[in-house]
This record gives sequence, structure tokens and C-alpha cells, in this order.
Amino acid sequence: MPITRRALVGLAGVAAAEVALSGCTDGPTDDTAGPLTIDDAHSVGAMDDFGVGVTFKATEPVEFSLMYRDHTNYPVKDDWSVFHRFAEDHNVTFSRTDIPMADFDQKKALLIGSGEATDIISVTYGGSETQFITGGAILPVSSYFDYLPNFQQKIKDWGLEADLQNKRQADGRIYHLPGVREAPDVQYSVVIREDLWERAGVTEDPATWEEFQAQLQMVKDANPEIDYPMSDRWTDSTTLGSFLSLMATNYDTVAGWGYANTFYDEDAGKYVFSGTTDEYREVVAYAAGLVEAGLLDPEVTQSDDQAVQKFISGRSATISGNTQTLAEYRTKFADSGAGDVPIRLISIPGGPAGSKLPSGRFTSGILIGSKAAEQPYFKALLQFVDWLYYSDEGLEFAQWGVEGETFTRGADGTRVLNEDIAWSSINAGAPKLLNADYGYSNGVFCLANGSSKDLVFSMMTEEIADWTERQLDGKEQVPTAPAPLLDEIELEQTSLLQTQLTDAVQAATAGFITGQRSVDDDWDAYVAEIDSLGASQLIDTVNTALERAKTAE
Amino acid sequence: MVTEPLPRKPDIAHVRKETGVIRESAGYRVFRVVNAVALLLVCAVTLYPFVNLVAKAFSSEGHIAAGEVNLVPRGFNLETFRVVFADDLFWTNYANTFLYTAVGTVIAMAITSTYAYALSKPHLKGRSFFVGIAVFTMFFGGGLIPNYILVATYLGWRNSMWAVVVPGALSVFNLLVMKAFFENFPAELEEAAAIDGLTTYGIFLRIVLPLSKAVLATMTLFYAVGLWNSWFAAFLYMDDKSLFPVTVYLRNLIAAATGTQEITDGGEAVQVAANIQAVTMLLTVLPIICLYPFIQRYFVSGVMLGSVKG
Repeated sequence: MPITRRALVGLAGVAAAEVALSGCTDGPTDDTAGPLTIDDAHSVGAMDDFGVGVTFKATEPVEFSLMYRDHTNYPVKDDWSVFHRFAEDHNVTFSRTDIPMADFDQKKALLIGSGEATDIISVTYGGSETQFITGGAILPVSSYFDYLPNFQQKIKDWGLEADLQNKRQADGRIYHLPGVREAPDVQYSVVIREDLWERAGVTEDPATWEEFQAQLQMVKDANPEIDYPMSDRWTDSTTLGSFLSLMATNYDTVAGWGYANTFYDEDAGKYVFSGTTDEYREVVAYAAGLVEAGLLDPEVTQSDDQAVQKFISGRSATISGNTQTLAEYRTKFADSGAGDVPIRLISIPGGPAGSKLPSGRFTSGILIGSKAAEQPYFKALLQFVDWLYYSDEGLEFAQWGVEGETFTRGADGTRVLNEDIAWSSINAGAPKLLNADYGYSNGVFCLANGSSKDLVFSMMTEEIADWTERQLDGKEQVPTAPAPLLDEIELEQTSLLQTQLTDAVQAATAGFITGQRSVDDDWDAYVAEIDSLGASQLIDTVNTALERAKTAE
Repeated sequence: MVTEPLPRKPDIAHVRKETGVIRESAGYRVFRVVNAVALLLVCAVTLYPFVNLVAKAFSSEGHIAAGEVNLVPRGFNLETFRVVFADDLFWTNYANTFLYTAVGTVIAMAITSTYAYALSKPHLKGRSFFVGIAVFTMFFGGGLIPNYILVATYLGWRNSMWAVVVPGALSVFNLLVMKAFFENFPAELEEAAAIDGLTTYGIFLRIVLPLSKAVLATMTLFYAVGLWNSWFAAFLYMDDKSLFPVTVYLRNLIAAATGTQEITDGGEAVQVAANIQAVTMLLTVLPIICLYPFIQRYFVSGVMLGSVKG
């Protein structure tokens, strides 16, 4: 039988229908967004008196399925103390699906899409749950908030109500259980080589970005042997991702890593297109000015390794960094034979919009599979999740382990890690690691190491704690913008626009910064170009959805 | 008839040198220089990453961090090899790679050669249909999730070697090359074998295959290299890291360490020393690099074999 074109088309049609059919599973069966109660059939192992301040221990052994994000630095081991403790002290064991972190999101999406979602789906960033909702495989956890007393208390005590409301999806429900932080997360700034900066007579951190530029100029003049005063990393996927993002907050916009096409204008009470605002232009013009003056390496597509090499070998004096990379840079300086080179993170400089921190105190969180609600242990699962991720006791357990086994407590309540156990910069060089050998401070059970301020600071070295304290002290968080609730069709329509607009803005940003395009001469052409790609259509859709959400309240 | 021996073919280069008569034109000489330089540059560009990798594998972390390692190892050390060798998981995964590659190649060769042989016979009924259903898969696929449901759920091959070695066993490109090769196989040989009493299978196994070494070697290499380098299928269907091939191990070292913000969030940054990455990469490509020179001569002739009909 010869293959005719018609036969091929027919086959293709069948194949396409097959794809469409197998792609969707049953949607959520109930139509109420309100709270639901769990009956006795699904309360096996659950505690009757569970509440704030109560240690969770299942009344009989239960096993939860867990999609485990396996971290390269601490490959999962079955004999970890954390698993023993779960089993012995809490009657909880896991049937794990271990997924290497490099492609965690991809396999997670695949398993959820194939109907293989587990009870607990670990390490999930807010916003990424939206794609799974129509498939019905994720539990709308907001219907069960009554069973999460610790969670509710943390939201209330730490003033996170507005942020939580923002997590509502178009159907009015919340699917993502976020990690919560008492204090904002500040980790990123700029790292300087103190010796080279002091040679230029600069000892004080710059108060503003303008001052930072002047200081770079002084460093350049005082150190003729360096190639550039600054050569940046975290720039290969998004141009100057960390640096621009850091700066943007104090220019009242978003850029770099933090870039989003839509930006909420407080005064106007609606969204505007970020990439063409005057504020964004100022940020771009500033960075372009640094390159033009020879203060910033124009190699904005270099890899992290290349940038770090320039910093370590003394060809640059400044690089983006965070609280963990300080240790990384020091080790590399020592390894390279340069010895003890003094470096420090500078305080984040202010800008025209003052000195602020980006909004948001939610970190990565977890999802619960909707099939979990059919399991006999469903109520126990919720109690366990609530205890581990949101109770003071659970948070400390996930971070520090067990008193006596991994740490001791001083008279004043400070925790001291056992001498033979290291974590990050604490007890560096000790034979065992808190995460790799015990399973604590593990991103799966301790969400992005975010929790109470006390716990976050307890794991910091004095230097980092000091720096973080200074950032939190002087700076206020930008308020959380209201979320527009786009429905499915709107999401579909805007997702294409979002991608092409983001790409165009990022490409133009790189062009402006490297000097291929001139901010003064070519900005209008750029704005026109962005408009022709559908920027106003995107903004209109978002603002319509925002209005709708406002009137619905 | 007296036959004179044919004069030897003149050696142009020798004649040029002796007589000085036939000289290379200036243009030709320029071309030769430019040509050589260009090809050397291409070689250098191709080889540099490999040499650099080897140099890094034998260097100390500090010299790599300072960007001093190019072609020659700095701070020579073998410590990194010791560290990598000490990881049991690496060896487990390495053994898996050997197993998957060996089993996968055998299955793939069995399926491809028999299918191609059958298709090469013009008298096969429904031949174009059988070609068609194979070619169809070059243009259409079920998509990731349906595939996963088929393999993992319906076939039950989750955490099984079959999920890695079976779904990709037939490469349509290889099938077509082989089919073209078998079509050019002299029918007289097969007829003679049939007259001497061989069955169809006998002809295939005892006459055709032994005379098709070039194409078989090429296809074996294609499949083996493909399976050796593949990581995606194993990543999808395996939930237990002791079942991963070494490529997934390698990917986790490298991809995780080069992630950006999301991964570096909250004290979770991955730091894998550059020399550990280099050693692992080196050990992973080594078997293939060792194999290539021996099979390469088949490789070129085998690929060309099916290409000219007539």
C-alpha cells in the first residue's frame, strides 16, 4: 500500500487526538473554593489534639510518597539521621522518587502530567504551580487551611496575609504552600577587593549608585594594572542578572534577574510595561555609562567561571556576590596562592527611589498531589507538613537537627553545632557535614533555609549576620503588588507575548549596555519596537484582570 | 606482439624539482599556504577544548580558579582522580553505561538489520507501508507525557533497563542507510546460496551479514555512541540513582553547578570543583575516544556505502 498524503494526514490526526486525550485528566471534582472537612476514613494516624505547640507524631506508622529533589552537594542517603528521626519520633517514613536537581523541574512536570504526582512534591517555586492546575493533579491546599494551624499562625504573626492572598489562582484557590520568612531575604550585593579599593582611598561603602560609580573611577585610577575595576558574573543567561536586579529596586523598577514585563505602579494603581519606563531607562543608562567609562567589563556574556577567574587573578577588583560566594572567593584566593586577600560585601547602595529591598518573603515551597486527599492518611499528612514546615519546633529540627545529636544549646539559648560537624562557614573543615551526613539543612525539608529570623541568623557567621543586619536595619521592603488573576485563556494569550517581549527587552538591554545601541539616540526606536511586539496588548490584558480581581473582592 | 611496459606515471613533484619547468603558479602556492593554515586553525579549535579538559583534569583547583590553566597542567596532581575513583556511585553508573550500551546495541542491531533486510526485497508485500510506518516516526512523535505513560505505566518499565534500551532501538536513518546497502547487495550471491539449499535465514546470517561488515560496523558505532552519550531516557524512567548511567552522573555535576539564581537561592548553591568536573568528563569520553580510531575507517566507507545507488 503506497502511503498517500491523505493517509498520512489521517494518521497524524489520530495521533494528535491521542496526545490531546492523554494530556488531560479529570479536573477538580468539587466546585466550592471554601474550606473542606476531612472524614474519619482519611484520618488514619492523625492526632486528635494537633495544634500550635504540639509535636506531631502519627498515632500509627504512616508512609508518604515524596518527590525528592536530590541535591548534588548532599546526595540523599537512606541512613541519614533525619530519616531515622522521622520514623522513630514521628512515625513517618517516605517512599521517595529521587530526582537529580539539575533537571528536577522537568521530571516533576512530567510525573505530574502523567498522573504520577506524589503526596508531597518538594522544592517548588511560587508561580510554577499554575501550569499544573488545569490537569487537576495538584491539591487546592487553601481548602484545607483549617488543618494547618502553625501555617496560619506564621502568616498572621509575620504579617504575610497580603502575600498569601496573591497566591490565589484564577479559580480563587491556593495550590502552592510556600516557605515563609520572618525577615526579607537579602543575600546579593557586590563584592569588592578591599586592598585595591583602599589603595584608591575608598574605605566607606557607597551610599548611592552614583557614589559607587565615582568610587569605581577612583579604583581604576589608583590601580592601573587591573583590566577593569568591575567584571561581573551571573550575566550569561540574563545580562548583568544580579547587578541590574540589585540596582533596579532603588530605581523603582525591575531589571536583570528580577525583570518582569509588568510592573505595578503604586500611584496609578495599575500595571505598566517595565522595559520602557523612564526608571528602566535610567538603570540601563547607568550600566551603559559604566561600560563607556571603562569601569565595567563589556564582556557581559562571559561565564561565571571567567568572571571569577578575572577577580581571583587580580584583573578586576569588583564582582557580584552573595553571602555564600564570599567563602567561595576566599577559598579560591587561597587555592590560587594569592593568600588571604581581604574582600567584603558592600551594603546595597541606594538610588533615586531611596534605599529599599524587593518585596516578598515567600521562598520555594511544596505542592501536595490531589490524590493524597484520597489516602487514608490524608489528615496526618497535612499535620505532618504543618508541623515540619511551619512550627517553631519543626523548623529548628529541619535546620539544626536534634539537640544532643548534632548541636547543643548554650545557657543563653544559642545553638552550637557539634565540633565535628560543619555547615557552610561554620566549623569549616570538620569531618562531617550537617547536610551530606545527617540530612539536616536540606532544602527539601527546610525550605530554602527560610524561616524565623532567629533561625536564619543562627546559621550565619558573624560577618554575614552583621552585613545582613545592616541591610535589614536601614531598608524597607517594597510593598507587594496586587496579583492580577488571569484566567486560562488570558494566560495562554499572554504567555507568547511575555516570552517575545522579555527576549526583546533583554536583547536590547544588552545592546544598550555594551554600546551597540545608544541610550540617547536609539531609545525611542526601541520603545516603538517593543510596542509593535504587543506590549500594550499585554498590559491591557493584565490591567483588565486586575480590575476584575478588585471588583470580585 | 611485443608489448612495451607502460612508462611509469611521472611523479609531478619530482619532475618539478628536477627540471624546474613545471612550476606551481603563485596563486596555487598561496592557496596551499592559506589552505594549510585554515585547516590547522580548524584542528586547533577542535582540539583545544579536549586538551584544555585534560590539562584541567591534572591541575590543582587553585590554578584553575585563577584562570592559569590552558594547554599544560599547572600544579600537577592526581588527587582529583583519587577523589572521583573513590565515589562508588560513579563506578556503579559507569558499569550501567557499559551494560545499557552493550544490550542496547545488540537489540538495536538485531532489529535494524533484520528490518532493513526485509525491506530491501522488492517482492515484499506492503513494502512501502512498512517503510512508511518507520518514516512516519521521523516526523511525528507521541510527545513526552504519552511516551512516559506508555513506557512507565503500560509497559511497567519504570526503573528497568528496558526503558532505556528498547524505545530507541530503531533509528530510521540507520534503517534507511542499511536498506539501501542491502538493495545493492548482488542478488546472484543470494540466488546461488538458495540453490545450494540455504533458507532465507541461512542466506541472511551466513551470506549477507558476513559480507556487510562495513555497514554493520558503522551502524554499531552509531548506536553504541548514541547510547553511550544518552542520558535523557534514563533520567526519565529511573527513580533510583544507582540505575543511572554515568552521563546522568556527569550532568548532575555540571548542570547543577552552572545553574543561576533559582538554584543558588537560600544557601543551596552547588559548588563542584572545576577539576572534578574535568576528570569526570575525561573518564566518560575516554572509552569512545579509544574506540574511534579503530572503527573510523569503516565509519567513512560505511556511511558512503548506502548513498550511491546504481
